[in-house]
Amino acid sequence: MEYVSPEGLRLDGRRPKEVRQLKCELAVLHRADGSAYLEMGNTKVLATVYGPHEVSQRSQSLHDRALVHCEYSMATFSTGERRRRPKGDRRSVELSLVIRQSMEAAILTHLLPRTQIDIYVQVLQADGGTRAACINAATLALADAGVPMRDLVASCAAGYLNGTPLLDLNYVEDSAGGPDLTVALLPKAEKVTLLQMDSKLPLDTFEAVLGLAMDGCKAIAAHMRQALLEHTRKQAVVRGPVRL
Amino acid sequence: MDSQLEAEAFKRIYPEEYFQRFLSEGTRPDGRPLGRARSTTIGFGAVSTADGSALVKIGSTTLLAGIKLEVMTPTAEAPDAGKIAATFEMPPLCSPDARPERRLEETSVVVQQVMNAIESAGLVNTKELLISTGKAAWVAYLDIYCLDADGSLLDAALLAAVAAFADLTLPPVRVNPEGHVLPVLSGAQGGNLRENGDASSEVVTVERRKLTLGAMPWAATIGLYKGHLIVDPTAEEEALLESTVTTILDEAGRLISLFKPGGITAVTTALIQDCVELTRHRARELKQILEESSQEDEDEGDESQ
Repeated sequence: MEYVSPEGLRLDGRRPKEVRQLKCELAVLHRADGSAYLEMGNTKVLATVYGPHEVSQRSQSLHDRALVHCEYSMATFSTGERRRRPKGDRRSVELSLVIRQSMEAAILTHLLPRTQIDIYVQVLQADGGTRAACINAATLALADAGVPMRDLVASCAAGYLNGTPLLDLNYVEDSAGGPDLTVALLPKAEKVTLLQMDSKLPLDTFEAVLGLAMDGCKAIAAHMRQALLEHTRKQAVVRGPVRL
Repeated sequence: MDSQLEAEAFKRIYPEEYFQRFLSEGTRPDGRPLGRARSTTIGFGAVSTADGSALVKIGSTTLLAGIKLEVMTPTAEAPDAGKIAATFEMPPLCSPDARPERRLEETSVVVQQVMNAIESAGLVNTKELLISTGKAAWVAYLDIYCLDADGSLLDAALLAAVAAFADLTLPPVRVNPEGHVLPVLSGAQGGNLRENGDASSEVVTVERRKLTLGAMPWAATIGLYKGHLIVDPTAEEEALLESTVTTILDEAGRLISLFKPGGITAVTTALIQDCVELTRHRARELKQILEESSQEDEDEGDESQ
């Protein structure tokens, strides 16, 4: 199958180095401490943050830093086939861990000892790149909750099909069997917090794909920061000037 | 700023007194009069991977319902009918209190009530889900996700279920003589003739269609508190209420279900009649909202075409 046309266009009409349309909304749920809704093309995810609050199981409490707890689940109707087990399967557990670890790298956990931060990520519609979308949504929800962080974590996937490095794969491209490289980045420090790939790729090509994914992360980070600033500005207007 | 802080502290320490002071003025903490429900919105087709979906918001209570279709062999008892299977999920993101065991009971009650209401109202004729008698029929898996639990979940769940069925489209399929159901590819709509041509003449094509819905059930939850009737309580209010009565009516205003899950006050018949009357009013409101939103949805669809 041809994933990049001779004109250099992909199946959904994007150029190889183009990310899908990104849409983010903050504070969508009122009862949560922080929440964010994020769309990357047709992938739609909702992230919610509760906390920092008291550790629910006291034995898990950490005396020098916050406990970060993350749960990932997919809606049964989010994929082409109906999912029988929306959470608790091996993939969900792995993804929960991946999201938690990349968030822990950014949260200043040492400032919040003996507390717990819950991150819940729900995939509502999946079209490839759920991993990256979940990480991005989780960062925004954490920012909305006011959890202290080093930087926003931005994540993006990249792949390599038809001899072309492609940015931000959708489901069809993802299931083409080529490599799928997910990167999460702390954009200010340009430090990678997550790098995942399970496929073969020559080293020099890998570098090109990694470079592309990192550029994607930076573009997404800029967009998310913009959304965050806009949201904060709106809130500042709603709340009025702060008097001390 | 200071007075606001004081009010907040008073609410935390004396939630009952806080609530009562509002009630004595004939109003509620969110500014609504006792008999008014929160503003309600319905978004059709919120999830494109589902065959039918709807996002319902009642105040900040948010529910997402999605229907996925699968093919099954009809049972021997009902060879000409499909079926509906429903679940109601409250993922931990929907509310700040983490008590999974209590949630399990609540979700089971909601899904059972929703299914009963859909069945007794006759919203969906399961015979419409038939593809080929005795060979194939659709199972409609209705999954309702609670994204924000801020009270009156049953009302919102039923509304989401009804809206998702209103949005449901049965995809076009072909049935070969062995009873296997094959999808008709979306790109091949013009090529239908050709496909029929090269397959055997016994292939039956079932067109893409919407369901013809029967009477729609409408629900309203009414909270009882010291002789006051409080329509559409929020989670905050529900925690204080003595009891709730959920009434489900069909389009003609007939009573489908009455649900009063215990509580400290026993109710009189007169009170129940008041509840039914309030629900009747809310049902008219909900019906109008559903019609308006589906009209808007159609208009948008026309524009995009």
